[in-house]
Amino acid sequence: MVAPTEDRRRISARVGVLQGGVIVFFAALAICFWVLQVVQTDKFVEMANSNYQRTLALRAPRGVLYDRDGRVLVENRDSFTISIDRESAKDLDRTVGMAAEVLGLDRDQLKQAVDRHIRSEPAYRPIIIVQDASLQQVAHALSRQRELPELLIEEVPTRQYPSEALAAHLFGYVGLASEKQLGDGINQGAIVGQQGIELTYNKVLMGRDGVRRVVVNSLGREIGDPLEEIPPVEGNRLQLTIDYDLQKAVEDSFKVAADTGLTDAGAAVILDPRTGEVLAFTSQPAFDPNAFASGVDRATWSALTGDELRPLNNRALQGRYSPGSTFKMAVGLAALEEGAITPDFTVYCGGGANFYGRYFKCWKRGGHGRVDLNHAIEQSCDVFFYTVANMIGVDKIHKWASLLGLGEKSGIDLPNENVGLVPSTEWKQRVMKEKWYAGETISVGIGQGAVSVTPVSMAVYAATLANGGTRVTPHFLKAVDEGNGWEAIPAPPPHSKVALNAKKLQAIRDGMWGVVNGGGTGGRARLEGYDVAGKTGTAQVISNEGRVAAARSGKDLRDNAWFVFFAPRDNPEIAGVVFLEHGMHGPNAASVTRHILDTFFAKRDKRPVPPPPTAEMMRFDFSDSFPLPPRRPRPSLRQPDRTVAAR
Amino acid sequence: MVSAILALCLIGLGQIYSTTSPAGGGASSIFYTQIWAILLGSIALVVALSVDYRSLADKSHFIYIAIVLLLMGVLAFGVIRGGSRRWIDLGPLNLQPSEFAKATLALVLAKFFGESRRGVITRVDFAIAAAIVALPLLLIAQQPDLGTAVTLVPVLFAVAFVAGMPMRIFGILAIVGLLAAPIAWKFALQDYQKERISTFVNPSQDARGAGYQQIQARITVGSGGPFGKGFKGGTQGQLRFLPVAHNDFIFSALAEEHGFVGVVVALGLYLFVILRSLEAAKLAKDRLGAYLVLGVLASFTFQVIYNITMSAGLAPVKGLTLPLMSYGGSSMIATLAGFGLILNVRMRRFTN
Repeated sequence: MVAPTEDRRRISARVGVLQGGVIVFFAALAICFWVLQVVQTDKFVEMANSNYQRTLALRAPRGVLYDRDGRVLVENRDSFTISIDRESAKDLDRTVGMAAEVLGLDRDQLKQAVDRHIRSEPAYRPIIIVQDASLQQVAHALSRQRELPELLIEEVPTRQYPSEALAAHLFGYVGLASEKQLGDGINQGAIVGQQGIELTYNKVLMGRDGVRRVVVNSLGREIGDPLEEIPPVEGNRLQLTIDYDLQKAVEDSFKVAADTGLTDAGAAVILDPRTGEVLAFTSQPAFDPNAFASGVDRATWSALTGDELRPLNNRALQGRYSPGSTFKMAVGLAALEEGAITPDFTVYCGGGANFYGRYFKCWKRGGHGRVDLNHAIEQSCDVFFYTVANMIGVDKIHKWASLLGLGEKSGIDLPNENVGLVPSTEWKQRVMKEKWYAGETISVGIGQGAVSVTPVSMAVYAATLANGGTRVTPHFLKAVDEGNGWEAIPAPPPHSKVALNAKKLQAIRDGMWGVVNGGGTGGRARLEGYDVAGKTGTAQVISNEGRVAAARSGKDLRDNAWFVFFAPRDNPEIAGVVFLEHGMHGPNAASVTRHILDTFFAKRDKRPVPPPPTAEMMRFDFSDSFPLPPRRPRPSLRQPDRTVAAR
Repeated sequence: MVSAILALCLIGLGQIYSTTSPAGGGASSIFYTQIWAILLGSIALVVALSVDYRSLADKSHFIYIAIVLLLMGVLAFGVIRGGSRRWIDLGPLNLQPSEFAKATLALVLAKFFGESRRGVITRVDFAIAAAIVALPLLLIAQQPDLGTAVTLVPVLFAVAFVAGMPMRIFGILAIVGLLAAPIAWKFALQDYQKERISTFVNPSQDARGAGYQQIQARITVGSGGPFGKGFKGGTQGQLRFLPVAHNDFIFSALAEEHGFVGVVVALGLYLFVILRSLEAAKLAKDRLGAYLVLGVLASFTFQVIYNITMSAGLAPVKGLTLPLMSYGGSSMIATLAGFGLILNVRMRRFTN
């Protein structure tokens, strides 16, 4: 038996222990709360805010692009995107299933698209499942809002490019900003320029996205009025140097070349030789930039990248081709300026000549007889230029060709320009680690051998010959409207300016005039009363020896066709180049050019713009000992498939 | 002490009003139900106060049998809500017998240990007491309501501890418990219970599911800051990011709206109530009284500490309410009745 007092003492002691324990526990709790609520409160306040506040981006429309006459080229239209708000979707599988049914999409495809986003993007960002939804899809989605509150329908401005892929490579296209493009005002999910003018002037065109902050409950439903709304600011409007009518004329002419089966590929760059303003610019075949505007779908993308004609390549800037006879003016001018010849200098052409123990043929069997510079250009006599090239050597040719813009970057305001090549002894030593052989200069004289040029550099070449030695910088930007009205943008300074001897230059120009208006190869570009000056070029894509071996490969080995030109001969207002890949004969390029010049002068003289040309008017020359490769049907430029967009 | 208890009830009531108030304003039906529960609870408190605890203890075996029968009844005819069968439908009020099991056990154990002639508790005594606890515990666990079931365990240990059980036995039990834990993990726990525990260890592994509540609880508490967002000003509770803000997570909602200051006040009140009650145990006239106070207080204290820890996202989420504050009629009535018993002991410390 234990005495009650002892009992009481034990109870007292043990209860005391418990009391102490409870105090310790409560003190610990108080400390925990102090840490959470006082020390770390900022962090949690932010987390709580991001819980109940949702920030919605209001996409800013990009700046509208106008042509030089103020005609709208690229604008914006309203489109709807439908997306899934992942955070408010309780069961994503169910949502995807229902969304597929409501929107008429393929369930498995949608699931895959959504899964890709889940892996790569943060959960708060809604997953866009339909870009540019049809009105029917929007109506269906709206009617099921009650069951599918996680389906968001947003109106967003979307880029609208001209139809028929007009000037596609010039405008480029827009797309979702990649990881590398982020920063500097570009946030995740932003639509930015990915090619062309859209890329070069992205910052100017982009505008500033607006923001709407709203309160949402745990189900993601918006409650009450927005906390804050900053309206989007539209991007700046740009006026381009492009002339819509001329651009259309260029593309119409190329279309005839494609329709007649001559060629699908080529490029043209038309400049104002006085300023370097680009009046028209094309690369063929083209693509439809509208297909990218709302997110390109896989089928379109693989069709574009799988096409062996590579429609995404910008041939005008990136294609490097042998210039052929169009190079002859550079050689002639070099010889004149270096004092090696005078305009009266003559060479006898007997259909070929020997240099360094090798016989070089003239294109004309039987030869041209005795020719001076003027006639050598007009008749494109090879022997004359072999001789002249041999006289001055490759380095002089290099020097003058560079001054005229060949083998140089033009500095045009479009991304990814390639540089051509005009060889020199220094170049060969540096790149091939070999001495230049004088024999190699001979074929350089007629624009073959190692010489390669881009179409845009050829346009600069034509412009420099036209304006008397100023190597202008081709550019597209004429004026910008930053909200205070149009402001003219001064032309970029020319790369170089060399005072060409007027008399010597006139000999070249006269030759080029003769090409078109005399008995030359460019007669098809003749325009009564406008003194068109030009030069055709028919450049082999493979050597005569290689042809036979490669003929069976099925590759298109037909010659490339060039026409460089300016007009009128005295005080030229237009200069440029038309290039037809596998266009067979230089005169075919002259055919294409005629309609372009016709349109230009019609506009200048306030006459109605001529109707698109026909195949009969073009009179393309298909004669060749070379067989045409089997023609493959080209996929038409279709409108983007507007069902499953998410790439 | 009564005023501290009432203050806690009112704080809880305020939070229930704040978090359940419908969009248009005004009070919810839940709020009025809670007022009724407090009134009924006060009556229960007075009733438990007025009868001498000794005569209650004498009849404790009847109460115990009644409760066990009720718990069996729940399993047979109970109302299912949220996946478990805990309630008996009594028309306007749903009765949750498991809440009353706590006070009943306190009475039975107090009587059992109080009547023991010896000062020291033997292993046999402890085993018998454990069996007395085990029966209702297993019945409640069957509902399943593991949370409430577990709150019965502290009743046993607190009473046994104060009744003089040697520390050696506690040590042995602790070792056995540790060894049994993995076995329990494997066989005894339901999948959702395992999930809750594993999510607690790493809440982000399931940020939308079970870990969600824990993360949200911590955000709720932390974002309250030192002074809170104001009455009805909490975004977490108001916009339902924090689930059951009027019930299991009422303390989180309090912390959000009234900040650290509100937390300290509420903690202080609870501490005061508990310490004063333990004081009553010391002052009790007999062992029976002291053990009774301990028994009632043990499950209360355990639940308070566990719930508040969980409210701060520091313990696995478990369906344990916060006594006196959380919404729940049976809990309120049973808790107030329990304090009736404690006051009963305190009041009769001088009588014979």
